[in-house]
Amino acid sequence: MDHSHHMEMSYMDSNSTMQPSHHHPATSASHSHGGGDSNMMMMMPMTFYFGFKNVELLFSGLVINTAGEMAGAFVAVFLLAMFYEGLKIARESLLRKSQVSIRYNSMPVPGPNGTILMETHKTVGQQMLSFPHLLQTVLHIIQVVISYFLMLIFMTYNGYLCIAVAAGAGTGYFLFSWKKAVVVDITEHCH
Amino acid sequence: MAMHFIFSDTVVLLFDFWSVHSPAGMALSVLVLLLLAVLYEGIKVGKAKLLHQVLVNLPTSISQQTIAETDGDSAGSDASPVGRTHHRWYLCHFGQSLIHVIQVVIGYFIMLAVMSYNTWIFLGVVLGSAVGYYLAYPLLSTA
Repeated sequence: MDHSHHMEMSYMDSNSTMQPSHHHPATSASHSHGGGDSNMMMMMPMTFYFGFKNVELLFSGLVINTAGEMAGAFVAVFLLAMFYEGLKIARESLLRKSQVSIRYNSMPVPGPNGTILMETHKTVGQQMLSFPHLLQTVLHIIQVVISYFLMLIFMTYNGYLCIAVAAGAGTGYFLFSWKKAVVVDITEHCH
Repeated sequence: MAMHFIFSDTVVLLFDFWSVHSPAGMALSVLVLLLLAVLYEGIKVGKAKLLHQVLVNLPTSISQQTIAETDGDSAGSDASPVGRTHHRWYLCHFGQSLIHVIQVVIGYFIMLAVMSYNTWIFLGVVLGSAVGYYLAYPLLSTA
């Protein structure tokens, strides 16, 4: 009897590779299917849920257990997503401001009728070892790290945290991209 | 969770009710994700076009207003036509922020679907991105 039961359990495990059994007790809106206490325990949920008990957030010490902690995490994630949008806009404007080194090269090119014309090329760019470029690189690293953190937060599949990411991105875009639109309007349309 | 790509007809995607256990269901899910990826690329192009359209249609009053603001503190002394255009522009920008939220959410949903490590889903997303880019990016007249 025991042996057949064990065979049955292992057959079920190998058959369905993606079982939605998540081990977040209380307040989860779904029921985990039978393989919850099989030997293949999955620590990570694979579907969206709303809950605030035993939610691990990014780091091993950061576990949310109460509604108050979840509210604090919501605000922190919201501000992180807003900061990410602001950082994107800030990097763009910093790049535009630092691209003041204009180099003109003139070179002779053959024109129509066999004449020689002087063609002038204008290039804007940054020197590799200049301070603006180094600053851009540091900000790029910060932006990449924050974007991965936001991805990992969304990967917790916690409904509250996902809503915080989306709302923070929207609010950040609304607050910071408004300035970008105005700047683009003035500097890039020749009146 | 298996950490390698597998071919399988069984997967649960994003929500508890979206559980696939047959080839027909898998084909339908792949089609849905393909369309989602096409929509994502389309939204990216749509947002850029909308921004360009807004900047073209409401240029002079906003820029004059902003120039006046940066020169001196004349922020409050607007004539009502300029105030109305400003109001319209805020509405446009609010609409764009909503589109941005939708784009962010769809992007994350596609990421989570690919995270299921199901090869059919992954191929569907890649194909949808290719089709979406192919259809949408020529519409960017400024690019």
